[in-house]
Amino acid sequence: MEPLSSFFAVSVILLGIGIYGLTTKRNAIRILFSVELIYNAANLNVIAFARLRNPPIVTGQVIVLFTIALAAMEAAVGLSIIILVSRLNAEIDLSKLSKLKG
Amino acid sequence: MTDLLFLAFAAVAIGAAILAIEARDLVYGAAALGIAFLGVAGLFFLLDAAYVGWFQIAVYIGAVVVLILFTVMLVGPKMGETPLGLKRVSLLAAILVSLLLGMTGALANATAFPGQDSCGSGCDLALFSTSLLKNYGVQLEFMSLVMAAAVIGALALSKTDRGQ
Repeated sequence: MEPLSSFFAVSVILLGIGIYGLTTKRNAIRILFSVELIYNAANLNVIAFARLRNPPIVTGQVIVLFTIALAAMEAAVGLSIIILVSRLNAEIDLSKLSKLKG
Repeated sequence: MTDLLFLAFAAVAIGAAILAIEARDLVYGAAALGIAFLGVAGLFFLLDAAYVGWFQIAVYIGAVVVLILFTVMLVGPKMGETPLGLKRVSLLAAILVSLLLGMTGALANATAFPGQDSCGSGCDLALFSTSLLKNYGVQLEFMSLVMAAAVIGALALSKTDRGQ
């Protein structure tokens, strides 16, 4: 059995990759990729922490089930917004979208 | 054996995640994202959370990646990203990521988190489903309500008025 700290390390690396993508990319779909990666890092962290207790508890797995469902919904709504924006603007570069600016 | 599997899954997840962010073509990026999800699902299996692992494969690879691929096809392959002009943002990203990697190094040395050989009752599927329906039944119902609202909202957002 691998020590749990290595799972935490993988989770932190995935979080870092996600934050890097969020800050440096401008394509809306690419930013959605980053958000999904951050979701995965959080899920991995929760599952690993649920194993930390002795005896381990199932609550972590239940919460991760809810999180996966929420992430799927977020992707559906985000992608429909992206389709709408691409229909209105012919591009999905987030730094050029300023329609909602006051 | 488990060490080897862990290294393989972690390498697949991290490498595919980097590829998903950095691939030039969005279609390849979406495929790499699916492979990264597969790696994370493998890590779930190693943590004795087999049900969550299968759920991850079904929902992420079966639904989210396919949805993303459809969107990439609909929106069109030509969406070249303009090179990042802001130096400060990329500097911030570099600082944040290196901070996180430093935390990783500290974590890898920590011995406060021992691994447990057997999960026992904590990963029992029967106990899991009992807990899901008994202790979190209300939350489950709320989740389905939110899911219905999200799907209806997504449909309403992308609806076109072709009849008029």
